[in-house]
Amino acid sequence: MNSDVVFTPLRDLAELVRTKQVSSLELTRTFIDRLEAYGPRYNAVVTVTAERAMQLATRADEEIKAGNYRGPLHGIPYGVKDLLATSGGIPTTWGAAPFRNQTFDYDATVIRKLEDAGAVLAAKLAMVELAGGLGYRYPEASFSGPGINPWNSAYWTGGSSSGSGAAVSAGLVPFALGSETGGSILSPSSSCGVTGMRATYGRVSRYGAMALSWTLDKIGPIGLTADDCGIVLDVIAGWDPSDPSSSKRPYQYDPQYSFSSRPRLAVVGDDLQGIPADVRANFEESLRVLSAEADITEIKAPDFPYEAVNQTILQVESVSAFEDLMESGVVAELTDPGNHYGGYARTAVLARDYLRALRIRRKVALEVDDLLSNYDAIVSPTKPLTSVPFGEEKGSDVSPAPRNTVSSLANLAGLPAISVPNGFGDHNLPTGLRFTGRAYRENTVLALGRVYQSLTGWHLNHPAVAP
Amino acid sequence: MSKTQEADDELFRMILARYGDRLTSQETDEVRKIVRRIANTSQELRTVQLANSDEPMALFQPYASEDEL
Repeated sequence: MNSDVVFTPLRDLAELVRTKQVSSLELTRTFIDRLEAYGPRYNAVVTVTAERAMQLATRADEEIKAGNYRGPLHGIPYGVKDLLATSGGIPTTWGAAPFRNQTFDYDATVIRKLEDAGAVLAAKLAMVELAGGLGYRYPEASFSGPGINPWNSAYWTGGSSSGSGAAVSAGLVPFALGSETGGSILSPSSSCGVTGMRATYGRVSRYGAMALSWTLDKIGPIGLTADDCGIVLDVIAGWDPSDPSSSKRPYQYDPQYSFSSRPRLAVVGDDLQGIPADVRANFEESLRVLSAEADITEIKAPDFPYEAVNQTILQVESVSAFEDLMESGVVAELTDPGNHYGGYARTAVLARDYLRALRIRRKVALEVDDLLSNYDAIVSPTKPLTSVPFGEEKGSDVSPAPRNTVSSLANLAGLPAISVPNGFGDHNLPTGLRFTGRAYRENTVLALGRVYQSLTGWHLNHPAVAP
Repeated sequence: MSKTQEADDELFRMILARYGDRLTSQETDEVRKIVRRIANTSQELRTVQLANSDEPMALFQPYASEDEL
């Protein structure tokens, strides 16, 4: 099977499987071979779930042959960030050495939903240890090695869904699941030149996922295109009685969703201050392209200390989530030096500050929704930089990463967003363009992603992965 | 030294009392920096005016299992 088939969007891949031009077994074998051959090159893979995958692929082929086609993910292999619980003795490591042998006797809800749709779990993918939960400082922070960017091996994939970004970028899986607390789906999607989707908080069940911050954690897809993300989101979205934060609002992906008039896009001017020239140039070119289809207005975000609110919530919830790990001293076994003491320092956040942050959060959610009621989405650079070279700090509790107002306000307000590739910056590193919409308007941001990808070809670029 | 600074130092000492034996001198310095930053963040949070009625975003919901309803 050639690499053109490997880098095929899900809708086309599904058609090949549905019409039996390609069997799920063939497809699964191809991707398992790539996971095993190239996964180590990028430190992208923790466990190749070959046995489970071949069983699921065999079942998929039998069902399709019998005329029981389940839908566009039937027979399609995928990988998940290794913080999602898997049964059957498959380790779930949370990217951290102390958990390298951890197993669960159940599957995370999202994995169960994907298997109900006929998808084939092929790999548990690498991640930053504990999803960066205790204040890591360096991109090397994973027991499975630094997440190596398929576009430039001297640079990081971005995190914390590092393996999910790299695996899709390098064609090791057709799609993957990542998780995001403050940027961990969109960041590696941008840095690896693929498309990532963060759904509204509560849209996707987190049952079976490692908790880092109960009020900020989200799970979402990473694929080659916006349509790929919509297809996957359609399957994994929905209320789950096992996740009290999950929403009962129904969701169905609408691949035909279109705008009744020209989309109204907002640019947060403050977010562009100080971003490097390569990221800015690609963003300005993206605006020029979009202006053919959309009305674009510069706006000012409501005046809140977004990052202070985010940090306060994250610091308190992460320390609670990992209290056992801290109190036992096992944090000393983590890879990143910042994780050895970051949790201890975070115990200095006072309860009244945590509650104050949650009270401000309500005001943020109301004001940002009011602002967004005038627009279909905020359009912005996904990240204020391409990526970080190995050996350099990526930001920490002491020296935060460059300001990213839209990311902060959107994660606080739990808003959906998509990142699509929009060019290359210095050092041959991809940049990303992000559309952030109102809560529960996933179809709007997915449609904007599709519009942009219909006007450009950046999502068609793939790194050279040949041996 | 201001009262705020004294309070921050107390927080730092509390962390040292509890976890100091696990920290190298370099790590202790880093903890001090983070505590200082947390104090600054706390001040930033106070730039937002809140009314008594401004409730936290996360609300407690009473629970009863389905079979008991």
